[in-house]
Amino acid sequence: MADVSHNAGPVERVVELHLPSRLGYEKVAMDAAASLARRMGFSADRVDALRTALAEAITNAIEHGNAHDAQMRVLVMLTVRPSELVVSVADQGRKPLMPAHLSPPPTIEESFTRGDKGGWGIWLIRELMDEVEFTTAPSGGNQVRMVIHLEKQS
Amino acid sequence: MLDNDLEVHIREREGVAIIDLIGDVTTFAEEKITNAYNEVSRKGARNILLNFRQNDYINSAGIAILIGIVTEVNRSNQRLAMSGLSQHFQKIFRMVGLAQYVDIYQDEDEAIRGFTAAMA
Repeated sequence: MADVSHNAGPVERVVELHLPSRLGYEKVAMDAAASLARRMGFSADRVDALRTALAEAITNAIEHGNAHDAQMRVLVMLTVRPSELVVSVADQGRKPLMPAHLSPPPTIEESFTRGDKGGWGIWLIRELMDEVEFTTAPSGGNQVRMVIHLEKQS
Repeated sequence: MLDNDLEVHIREREGVAIIDLIGDVTTFAEEKITNAYNEVSRKGARNILLNFRQNDYINSAGIAILIGIVTEVNRSNQRLAMSGLSQHFQKIFRMVGLAQYVDIYQDEDEAIRGFTAAMA
């Protein structure tokens, strides 16, 4: 882990991962984040929640933002703070996240009648993380910033 | 290495068609799971158990596949149960609403007892 704090005060530690835009690579980031979270003292159920939310964010970045272009990368940043873990996932923005992706999910009853049964990813992220923010990455792509608080044990 | 990490096996126990799902349930699992469901249905299965094992990765694409199976089960007047899910995925399935339409058991033995009681 790289210590990015050069001044006195709270020390932040940051891990960066650059993933190819190919489904399956999200598992590498899930394992890294889970390892970090366990070392920070998160309970097993919170680590599971983090794994699921991170997987959904990276999958969205691969499928929607980077449109499965393996040449494009997904940047995952894990920032360790004393009482929380901040996770940001950024794509290279070939396709902006449409508002529809941010709308409430369908109910399962609606899903039964639709051909496409999906659309649960963003909703899962919001349900499982303590803070979620969708922004534009410095690279111009989509970025989701998620925070999970260490003191909040469910 | 990073994809297609799901093994699917079909067997029968006490009148229940059991589909063992060993590994990841993601978008790569759709064909395997759908084929297994279609196979047991073709053979006339009325009671079907999705028996999860070593599934530390089920994502929203996997959930969509399972919703698709539940849709077919409802149309076909079959009975579907799930067993072997971790506490985390039991929670997720409750959140999504799947648990309203599928009986969720801790393990295979408990599920078989549930089917037997329902058939009695």
